[in-house]
Amino acid sequence: MLEYARFRWFKVALALAVAAGIAYLWHDPPLKPYGGTAMGYALGTVGALLIAWLAWFGVRKRRYASRTGTVQGWLSGHVYLGTALLVVATLHTGFELGWNVHTAAYVLMVATVASGFYGVFVYLSVPGLLTANRGDETLEAMLLKVADLDREIRDKALSLPDDILREVNASLDGSRLGGSFGRIVTGRDRACPTAAALARVPELGRRLSGEAATANHEVYTLLLQKSELLARARRDLRYKAKLDLWLYVHVPLAVALLAALAAHVLSVFLYW
Amino acid sequence: MKLLVISQSRNRAGRTVQVRKEVTADWIRVGRHAASEVLLADPRIALSQGLIVDRNGPVYTEGEMGTTTSTTRKAVRSVRLAPGKAIDVGPYRIAGVAAPAGYTGAITVELVRPAEESAPAFLERARRVTLASLGLPKRGLALALFALVAVAFFLLPAGRVLDLPWRAPPGAAMASDRFWNPGPVMLAHQPVGEKCEACHELAFTRVRDVACLECHARIGHHLGPEAKPAALFAGSRCAACHRDHKGVKSTHRDDDRFCVECHRDVRSLANGAQSQDAADFAKSHPAFRLTLPADKGVRRVRQGAAPVQESSNLVFSHAVHLDPAGVRHPEKDKVKLGCEACHHPDASRRGFEPVTMARHCQDCHRLEFEPAVTARQVPHGRPAEAMTVVAEFYANLALNGVRDSFEKAFGVPGEGLLRRPGEPGEAARRATLAMAAKKAAHVSEEIFEIRLCRTCHEIQRSDGDRGTEWNVAQVRLGHAWMPGARFDHASHAQSRCSSCHDVSKSKRSADVAMPAIEGCRECHGGAQLVAGKVTSNCLLCHGFHDPRHPWDPQFKPKSATRVAGGAPGAR
Repeated sequence: MLEYARFRWFKVALALAVAAGIAYLWHDPPLKPYGGTAMGYALGTVGALLIAWLAWFGVRKRRYASRTGTVQGWLSGHVYLGTALLVVATLHTGFELGWNVHTAAYVLMVATVASGFYGVFVYLSVPGLLTANRGDETLEAMLLKVADLDREIRDKALSLPDDILREVNASLDGSRLGGSFGRIVTGRDRACPTAAALARVPELGRRLSGEAATANHEVYTLLLQKSELLARARRDLRYKAKLDLWLYVHVPLAVALLAALAAHVLSVFLYW
Repeated sequence: MKLLVISQSRNRAGRTVQVRKEVTADWIRVGRHAASEVLLADPRIALSQGLIVDRNGPVYTEGEMGTTTSTTRKAVRSVRLAPGKAIDVGPYRIAGVAAPAGYTGAITVELVRPAEESAPAFLERARRVTLASLGLPKRGLALALFALVAVAFFLLPAGRVLDLPWRAPPGAAMASDRFWNPGPVMLAHQPVGEKCEACHELAFTRVRDVACLECHARIGHHLGPEAKPAALFAGSRCAACHRDHKGVKSTHRDDDRFCVECHRDVRSLANGAQSQDAADFAKSHPAFRLTLPADKGVRRVRQGAAPVQESSNLVFSHAVHLDPAGVRHPEKDKVKLGCEACHHPDASRRGFEPVTMARHCQDCHRLEFEPAVTARQVPHGRPAEAMTVVAEFYANLALNGVRDSFEKAFGVPGEGLLRRPGEPGEAARRATLAMAAKKAAHVSEEIFEIRLCRTCHEIQRSDGDRGTEWNVAQVRLGHAWMPGARFDHASHAQSRCSSCHDVSKSKRSADVAMPAIEGCRECHGGAQLVAGKVTSNCLLCHGFHDPRHPWDPQFKPKSATRVAGGAPGAR
């Protein structure tokens, strides 16, 4: 993403930002630097075109048949030019901010880029963790394994006393994966019956002996495996959610930015 | 090792179907991986689940060779697959069977717990595992934000200017287009600051000059009509120099750029320009032009090598008045005069009040015509009246004067005619009045030509039919030497007067003691910052708008209510 084509987009973005900076320093505005000078209009036009192009990425990445570059290249450009936009738009403002639609557009732009930075961080850090957590299994495999363990536990637990069986059955009937925003995003389930069973079965099984103790130990081992699997599966959900969640901020902010940008441009020329 | 692998499965009819396969290898891999010799194609199986090795017969072993992903990776399992011995590997069952001749061993592999048979309860509780499956509205949120921004920041504010149905009625409080205000307007514009339409009259049209002239109807143009300023400044707008919303203090920038654009070579733009080229006060600025009174109006004289001379028709020497030893005073012995004795700051303290005889001179220069007898003075500025006063005084003295005064004035013994006993005769009366008239004529001549007027004025004598008359030349005192310049004496009060106006050696009233540009440049630099100098741009001393020439003589404001009320469509 970042080093695509030997940092091609980094170089483009750097050149753009440096050019904007030099132009800003060179320009001698009629009153003070602001968006309405000749340089302000120029920087504003570049910024608006950049925003339109950056937003187009949302369309381009869904056009699987498109041959205009690769999505990887587009993403690289998206990241670097989005960063350059921060420079261009800031210079366009002439550091003149206030409580108005113009600054609203700027703040939305900054927030969108900032969320994009977080997205880059996520895309760089999370996939490694996700792969390491999954190993060579898929989530589906983990789920099937848990289901298998459930079946095995059910068979083996039948001979156990009622109080232990209740705990085990709670795990069999109650353990769940995902299902709520909090559970997916945190990767935890505070009310996980498997964890509760794990905590209580050894205590309850202490009085057992002979075959019952062996069965109890086997069930406990299986519960332990299930718990471990569940934890991995929940981490998997969390990592995938992490990859997605920032987009729930980035995309709406970007769309709102498009509206604010349009309002900004139109209002400026309505009240020229 | 040579192993016979029998894959068992059941067909739809429930019969067991066997597929035999011969595998020859030192280690036989068991796993999900396609390269595995014993392929267990089920997601619940690890890629490399285990190995079958030859230890005098096949032995299944798991966990030894680093199958890190196996859930049983901590356990090491090693099971001899003797005939009849079966183990569960995930959902599969691997059993040893008797080896046919030539084989090291034989195993059967059977999927005993297909995925679809696994307990569904848990899978049912693990369906919603992604954010998308929760129905989080990414698109909906985006559209809602888009709509919110579009409505609040565009559609509502645009109601007035685009005449949309929800436009607020005139005078209503809804001024949502203040969201469009890029910054505070300058203080003077704040009364109309919330009424965007006061200046932004038409949509998609830049602010027009007429909107400015609505209030600034009397603003002066840069030049008089003789220079045809409309043509000279064609295409220029008020907003070329004045930009509002850029701070509450000012709408223009205090620098030389706009001035120098034209004045660097002003005659190339305006043929008849009387000013010389100027680009910077320190480096490129002509000598000052002084405005002097002329016979009619004023004349402007540029300072140069020769000192500028004025013709005020006054006789005056600064040197005499500023004599360090002092000057004579009618009552006190001697007084020392400074500048402030005659030059008083005016109310603004920027300039000075005009010097007048009555206020500044007459305390010393008294117009007493007969000091031996009276402190009366002739009126200043009116020669004919002065002569009348003198004639009446001596006539009265000749008629009514007491002896002492009579004798001192006329130099003969006696007293006023009417004071003498008895009725005066015609001859005596005539003689007395003739004496008085003669004395008055003598004194008049003396005060005009020798004693009083002559001290300061140019006097012309004319002997006509109506007797002798004296004409005092019109005094033309320069007062506003540089009327176009913004100079504030109060801000220069820390300097001595003489540092700019050195008159200590000036003996003639023709000397003009206005400083030359070199004097100013001792303290004032140009537009560029220089150590030890005051950075001075054009606007420090000059203005752009000449108040004498209206910007647009034809312009007539529509009505005051348009700006105040801001009724849309009123224009």
